[in-house]
Amino acid sequence: MSDATGQRDEVQRKIAAIDPLELSHRRPEWSASQPMTRSQKVALLTLLALVVLAFVCAPLKAAQGTIAVCTLYYVVSTLYKFAVIRASLSPSAILRFSDQDIADREPREWPLFSILVPMYKEPETVKQMVASLSAMDYPADRKDVQILLEADDAVTLAAARALTLPAGFRVTEVPKSFPRTKPKACNIGLHLAKGEYLVIYDAEDLPEKDQLKKAVLAFEASPEKVACVQSRLNYYNPQQNVLTRWFTAEYSAWFDLQLPGLAALGAVIPLGGTSNHFKTKLLQDLMGWDAYNVTEDCDLGVRLGRAGYATRMLETTTWEEACSDFWFWIKQRTRWQKGYIQTWFVHMRDPLKLLKELGVVNFLHYQLLVGGGTFSVLINPLFWCMALVWFVFRPEGVSQLFPGPVFAAGAVCLFIGNFVFIYINLLGCCKRKKDGLMWWSLLTPVYWIMMSYSGWRAFIQFFRDPFVWEKTQHGLVKKS
Amino acid sequence: MDQNRKTYRLVRLLTGAVTPVLLAGVLLAFARLHDGAWEPGAQAAGICRELLAGTTEGRQALFGSCWVAPLPVLFYLPFAWLLPEPVAGCAAFFVAWLFVFWAVREAVKATGQSGWRIVLAQAAIAGMMAVARQPQALQIATALAAGLALMAAASLADWAAFRRLRDVVAAGAAGAFLMLCGMPFFGPAGLAVGLLPLAACGRPDTRQRFQAWLLLGWLPMVYTVGVWLLMNRLILGDAFFFLRSLRYLVPRTYLFLPAVLAPGLLLLPALILTWWSDARQEKPGAGLTAASALLISFALVLLASANVFGRFGIGWDTVTLYVCVLVVLMIAQARLSQPFYRFALSLALFVWLSTLWLGGAARPVTAESRGRICQEVETYVNARTPYGRVFVLGYAGLDLLRGYAGERLAPNMDLHVGSLRRAYKGQNLYVLVPRPEGQVRAESVFWRHPDIYERGAERLLYARAFGSWRLFEVVSAPTQEQLDEWKKKR
Repeated sequence: MSDATGQRDEVQRKIAAIDPLELSHRRPEWSASQPMTRSQKVALLTLLALVVLAFVCAPLKAAQGTIAVCTLYYVVSTLYKFAVIRASLSPSAILRFSDQDIADREPREWPLFSILVPMYKEPETVKQMVASLSAMDYPADRKDVQILLEADDAVTLAAARALTLPAGFRVTEVPKSFPRTKPKACNIGLHLAKGEYLVIYDAEDLPEKDQLKKAVLAFEASPEKVACVQSRLNYYNPQQNVLTRWFTAEYSAWFDLQLPGLAALGAVIPLGGTSNHFKTKLLQDLMGWDAYNVTEDCDLGVRLGRAGYATRMLETTTWEEACSDFWFWIKQRTRWQKGYIQTWFVHMRDPLKLLKELGVVNFLHYQLLVGGGTFSVLINPLFWCMALVWFVFRPEGVSQLFPGPVFAAGAVCLFIGNFVFIYINLLGCCKRKKDGLMWWSLLTPVYWIMMSYSGWRAFIQFFRDPFVWEKTQHGLVKKS
Repeated sequence: MDQNRKTYRLVRLLTGAVTPVLLAGVLLAFARLHDGAWEPGAQAAGICRELLAGTTEGRQALFGSCWVAPLPVLFYLPFAWLLPEPVAGCAAFFVAWLFVFWAVREAVKATGQSGWRIVLAQAAIAGMMAVARQPQALQIATALAAGLALMAAASLADWAAFRRLRDVVAAGAAGAFLMLCGMPFFGPAGLAVGLLPLAACGRPDTRQRFQAWLLLGWLPMVYTVGVWLLMNRLILGDAFFFLRSLRYLVPRTYLFLPAVLAPGLLLLPALILTWWSDARQEKPGAGLTAASALLISFALVLLASANVFGRFGIGWDTVTLYVCVLVVLMIAQARLSQPFYRFALSLALFVWLSTLWLGGAARPVTAESRGRICQEVETYVNARTPYGRVFVLGYAGLDLLRGYAGERLAPNMDLHVGSLRRAYKGQNLYVLVPRPEGQVRAESVFWRHPDIYERGAERLLYARAFGSWRLFEVVSAPTQEQLDEWKKKR
């Protein structure tokens, strides 16, 4: 038996000993393995019954009440968005390190940095991924790269093995088991990680070359309680079609304005899917990612907050491929929104405990970010339809649903709130110097309709197939 | 480091909270003591009452005139909803002036001036308002306009000086909101926003991004105007309804638009200076001298606008514009770093203020007793018919009806005698018309029926005067039931 085979067997033995579902086994109350608890089901059904009863007994009052609550939410949400964007102007919103800052600290011993790259049936991206990670400006002997591949993904395994991997790169085979999710693979990678710090990249990611060094400097410059540093994500194919333009505008606003704003406010941050840098030990103590949650990144961000840790934004970008196909985009967005629903239900199992752990302000952040985001996409179509009916047909019935103050607040949300949301996208594009996308951002309302469609799809899927992972298709840009 | 942070927090507390609260409180107390009948949100309160009642008249009033602009009404609305009169008015006034003092702080802070300079600027502005003793200067609408004009001017200047994205956004937003403060601000707001992309043309690298500045700067205003037009189309059936009074008020309308935009020429030298300074800098940004020139030029634009409106005989908001001029000049003065220029500007301000206001402080205006007029009209109509209904016209009508709780009198924003007759068939209808003087001349009833106050109109017969108001009876053929009743009585 050769040394290589022996080492591989040793690794496989280690992997077999790892429990990738540790979180759901040891702390089931933190996991989405059970999408809703019995008490949540009872509460939801009771609420539903009360609403139905109200609509049966006093339909006008019930409708007015429902609309008033939704309008109040819109007002709060618009003001909240505004506050977050304003906070993004704060110098503390984002950690910045120049080339000079890095140079000033050289020469030095850089800490070992683990990089996890989960992949599934994407052999065409292996070569590019290896090239891009090799090109990163970080000593090769201080990189610990794990390519996480499912044991039954023969094509990608073959592609990876066909390459001569550079020093510090290794392939980790993830045994076939349920659930078949990215976080489960990452948990195995986390257990095998050797680095002081750890980051996740998707296969098609193109991180900026000095990102790892900046992440190290960020951790060193931050207080001990900073457990995660999130890089900004953006897309390298915005000009592919209208969908990628909108998607890029949305990402520019989210990662360049909203997340820095949240960081400046000290809020719980729903982490982005990749390029989040962690302190490895701390992440291991938190038992890694929830393998049952389809947006494990968002869930982890909340868990970090609950455990008293903070997340900061880092001024460095990882370039990704924007999904350019309508149906793939819908599937991807469905997964994200379903994950947000999962996350909301998981952490709302004991709202008082959550309130105590997060504090009042962060509790509200959580409600508006995680719960509110999904709530918006679900109720938006109803209000768009009402606005459209009112504009076109002017029926008296619609006016009756909006008593004086509610009408005024609703009108402000309709005309100012929606404009603010579009304008934020424009700002994101401008900040990213993607001026050509700004005109396209004016058509963002069409994109919102797509979001609402996927939101409803996610809502239904949450009850029917909570663990289905609709994988994002990469490589479309090359095909096109 | 800790000492610096402590000082920073102290200055922030002083300029952002303590001084604004104190000064707004002083202004409020001054206004109340100076004039017992003072009402800071007189027009807005009447409109809010209708809006909260969910009536069509409230919606028509909100968007139907470029003279009674939507922003002060929308600002007042939450106060009117949550608080009773006159607490709502005082609270709204207080918050509006807090906004002005906050804007002063932001405008001065941008140039790195000391905290004391900010406090002095805030106090000087409050002092000027007290010296003015003009009822109009102490209105919610004036405070909002002054704060927004200042924000637009200062952000424009900061944009020219520092090229920060936030300044384009602030100037664009302030311009759009300033537009919602009414007709006198259309020109200055349009010019401020128009200048945003132009101010960035001094260097090739920022000129290349012209479309970005254009879109970010102009979009809020374009959108605001679009929504205003749309609301007029939907609620009043005519997209340009809010502007129609101009044709009646301004005899030579074709001269009016160029006259409103002409003050823009005053901005040209400052713009050229901005380009020149920008081109000479290594980093993008024209520097503080060009920014000061822009601020002072903008104040001159406001001043010229006041003159334009005065010359066209529609200078009702001149005082508001003067307040804006003073506030902007005060900021320009506070931002100047050279003592000589600061002294010169202070002197000019002092002289101008003295000649403008000290000599002729307006006496407190005693408002006609609204309740008494409503009561008298109701008694008059009740004595003649049990089926009477009185339509009180226009924004003046909404103001008159603020405290009225009966059902005989109702507001009407858009008089169509024929529609009223059809809608209230069988009732005896009356129309109560305000005297067409000052801003009341801009009411839609006067551009639809210019002689209504003097001669009535088709089917409107003069009945009686109540103070400055005139009551007209709508003449219509009696219905069969009324004829039968009349015959029985005979």
